[in-house]
Amino acid sequence: MPAPYHGRCNCGAVTLSIEAEPVWVRQCWCRQCQRIAGGSATSNALVMTDKLATRGEIHWWEYEAQSGNVIGQGFCPNCGTHLLGRNSARSIACVVRLGVLDEAAELAPTSIIWTDEAPAWALLDPALERFARQPPAPGTAT
Amino acid sequence: MTVHTGQCLCGQVRFTVTAEPSGARACWCRDCQRIASGSATVNVLFAEEAVVYSGAISTLRMTADSGNTVERGFCPECGAQLYSKTVEPSGMPMRVRAGTLDDPELIAPSSLIWVSSAPSWACLDPGLPHHGRGPDSPLVEAG
Repeated sequence: MPAPYHGRCNCGAVTLSIEAEPVWVRQCWCRQCQRIAGGSATSNALVMTDKLATRGEIHWWEYEAQSGNVIGQGFCPNCGTHLLGRNSARSIACVVRLGVLDEAAELAPTSIIWTDEAPAWALLDPALERFARQPPAPGTAT
Repeated sequence: MTVHTGQCLCGQVRFTVTAEPSGARACWCRDCQRIASGSATVNVLFAEEAVVYSGAISTLRMTADSGNTVERGFCPECGAQLYSKTVEPSGMPMRVRAGTLDDPELIAPSSLIWVSSAPSWACLDPGLPHHGRGPDSPLVEAG
């Protein structure tokens, strides 16, 4: 089903909607994502922030990644559900965690990043494009 | 005995476990997909008394898809999901989120539960038992 997409945290204190198709949808197995996501990869849809609306309080925690970029993790302070992620390298967009979206969104990951840090027991979909670490940004010469 | 250790993403919460895990499984219930940013949570089972946390922890009690009352703990600073334990009925093992262990390879998941609510794109290991609902529910054919 095409946009708009709707979602919420586990307790319902935060809701969100996205009014345009995401730029990409991908999974991330970096060690930081495993720590916040219960042991799996996070699954993320990149959306332009002007196409995203949220309601309810979101608590942000920020840290500096090895790249020097400042990463922000946004979650519901009542139930701890992670909803959004932001990166200082792309200030006009943010990622929405796929788990919060209603089933009708039917958005599926098309690539997997940071496979170098996935645990040995992780099962990676063989049909998806893989990147050992961070993929190059769109438009970057490789 | 080996002491297993772990922490949240920001390090505000740390924990030790003075027991070996009794198992591990991945849970695709709808609540867990929200907790795990879209995938299953991967949970390592320990006797509750063997797990000792330090630091501030936020908790929320909810009725899970199973109908059980569960308490889920997370770090109030970074939001890392730490554990789930069943308040009612009592006596069930505590589920420590594998991602918070310093060694997430301590034990591999040996079954998948709540596959009936997994998204169509989920990559489910065909070599593991698939339970449609909770761990005591009937097995379903691996798709």
